[in-house]
Amino acid sequence: MEDFSVVYRECYPRVLAYAAAHAGRPLAEDITSETFTIAWRKLDQMPSNALPWLLGIARNLVRAARRQMWHDELTDVAADDDYAVIELRAALATLSEADQEVLTLIAWHGLSAAEAALVLGCTTATFFVRLHRARRRLRAALSTSNFDRARESWKTS
Amino acid sequence: MEDLLKDLAQAKPPAPEVDPERMERDLARITAMPRPAKTRTSLRRFSPVLVAAAVIALAVVLLPRPAPPVQPAAPPQRWHVLTQKWELMIVGEPANPYTVVLSATDERWAGPDSQVDVTQKNGEVAPFTRDDEARWETAGKPTKAPQLGGHGSVRIGPMQPAVRKIDGPEPNPFAGLPADPVELKKTLQTISGDKGSPDSLNYQTAMLAMQMMTANISDDRRRAAFEALKTVDGVRLLDRMTLRDGRSGTGVAIPAPPTFQFTGFETQLVVNQETGLPMARRNVLTSPQHGLPVTTPIFEEEYLLLERTTIDPILPHGVVVNAAPESPIIER
Repeated sequence: MEDFSVVYRECYPRVLAYAAAHAGRPLAEDITSETFTIAWRKLDQMPSNALPWLLGIARNLVRAARRQMWHDELTDVAADDDYAVIELRAALATLSEADQEVLTLIAWHGLSAAEAALVLGCTTATFFVRLHRARRRLRAALSTSNFDRARESWKTS
Repeated sequence: MEDLLKDLAQAKPPAPEVDPERMERDLARITAMPRPAKTRTSLRRFSPVLVAAAVIALAVVLLPRPAPPVQPAAPPQRWHVLTQKWELMIVGEPANPYTVVLSATDERWAGPDSQVDVTQKNGEVAPFTRDDEARWETAGKPTKAPQLGGHGSVRIGPMQPAVRKIDGPEPNPFAGLPADPVELKKTLQTISGDKGSPDSLNYQTAMLAMQMMTANISDDRRRAAFEALKTVDGVRLLDRMTLRDGRSGTGVAIPAPPTFQFTGFETQLVVNQETGLPMARRNVLTSPQHGLPVTTPIFEEEYLLLERTTIDPILPHGVVVNAAPESPIIER
């Protein structure tokens, strides 16, 4: 139980940040709580590096929550962000959910490729291939008409 | 390409602030839940592994032992108790009395060399119901109100947290008590003393047993304390009891002696059946008083954490250690 408490306190902020980024802040605390509840039930399976495993659980819960309600993860953006940041987030939003996930696990949640692969349940090699493709599509999105439309919507919101 | 990921990192949405109270409350709730039993695995399946392990173990035993490596000192283990408290108090002038609720979080880290107590964290005194709020407003929204029937006043509003540190605290008095329920009950009765009425002795004995159950003691002693508690005269067993946060457990109740504001009430202890750890202790009205119906908890102490930990005490910012606490109850 003590080990669980240590992992809980250490990983709670990162699981919460993941849940907030992908399901929105209103659901983040509940998803985090549910993640650790499941982790407690499966404590025997918890690896020594628990974070990717916990994020894998959180990921399933985020997906379940998204099936139940519409959510746009960019709605939480602070109004005073600079234009480049807004541009990049808007471009990210035009990508598929899978591409967004690959990119944000590295760029936003600070995981290594091996850890991110664990979260997604794929091999590290597969992850690198998916990351390469996702980066290419993000770069492309920064200069497509879709992105221009997204940029227009940001200007007016 | 790397630059793109760096740029994306800059576009990370701000991390949400962790609500420490919610975090600890959830931890307490989660760890109070039962975990599924481990799956039994056939020994036969692992027999080759077991044989190999036995051979290695034998070889290790027969080999000359090297000098033991120097181990770094283990961090001290502390008994960590996190409680959320609520208490009702009747205040105001006799012509316009109203009820206020005192709520606060208390935390204790008790180690062999020092004990740290954090009290009145997130503390507040506020009118209990909307009706009470209306009466408080009628009274002119005072920041302090006299206790009805008492000699003090109650500060209404936020409480200031306090931190007390004791170096060289007294050793845990419950650790050496008998682990046999019958012997333990006799010992607790002796500690309670033979002054006063039998009811008073029974209540004191029950309170000691409840206090012992929240202390840093072995599991067999905790079980013994609960068994002893059940056999104290006047104690009755309660079935499934539900707490404010939805958790439930079994419990016991014993009629409580009156205070200056309340007369008919009983003290209940709710226990987690799986772990044997107490979940809450509360005083619950058994007769309506001051407009409060039967079963209203007039005092409640919910144990969010009762655990052994090596984590250093976490102190609230900006609070001077061992400064005089600013009690919500003040002289009139």
